[in-house]
Amino acid sequence: MRKFSRKQDEAEINMTPMLDIVFIMLIFFIVTASFTKESGLDINKPPPSEDQPKDDENKALLIQVDSANRVFINMRVVDVDSVRANVERFHAEHPKGPVVIQPALDAKAGVVVSIYDQARQANVYNVSIAEPRE
Amino acid sequence: MREDTDHQEEEMEINMTPMLDIVFIMLIFFIVTASFIKEAGVNVQKPKAVTAEKKDQASILIAITDKDEIWINKHKVDLKSLRTNIEKLHAENPKGTIVVQADKNAKAGTMLAVTEVVNAAGVPSVAIATEEKQ
Repeated sequence: MRKFSRKQDEAEINMTPMLDIVFIMLIFFIVTASFTKESGLDINKPPPSEDQPKDDENKALLIQVDSANRVFINMRVVDVDSVRANVERFHAEHPKGPVVIQPALDAKAGVVVSIYDQARQANVYNVSIAEPRE
Repeated sequence: MREDTDHQEEEMEINMTPMLDIVFIMLIFFIVTASFIKEAGVNVQKPKAVTAEKKDQASILIAITDKDEIWINKHKVDLKSLRTNIEKLHAENPKGTIVVQADKNAKAGTMLAVTEVVNAAGVPSVAIATEEKQ
């Protein structure tokens, strides 16, 4: 053991180049590190099979948005901020019923996301966005 | 001068080992946390939502501006070439998911077209970016 330490005195490994590389790697990873995490809503489209049995229990709530960003629930114009109350009422009547949002092509994305968010606030997580209407 | 430093170095050399340990641990930490998110390259006004979740696995961001331009990986692309772009970026990090950053005032039709392209490109999970409502 003692002999070994004497050998170290004689020929010591030069650590400087390795340290240089390690520091450069460290700086690279610090600079490229991005700790920003995006927050978002998962979206799912309705399953493609159209011919499902339409029981009363499986009744879906259709929310439509037209190109002027007016919101229709069951063909009735409602305010954007009252979607949540409407979905809550629907959820009480049909606990398993999904919510389908059908926006017009020209509707604003913000309105669609707001409706989606409000439906989730009303504890309906089975929300899908259907093909836009022409 | 030379004699002085040489002389001193021989007598008391700084022990580099603890510093090296720390540097290596930092290096490993930054390598592990590095996520290499492909930024979209433009800033958009994201819609606000309450029920949004943090997306840890997001690796590709696609932005839709209020003028319905689609940006991916700091390039403006059109809807037709979006799919090849997504497939190329997704191949680099197959575990990563995609977050669509749609502007509040973007068209819902564009947003849904983009999510459809993402699904067609074989990425199962796509989310819409939102901002947390205070």
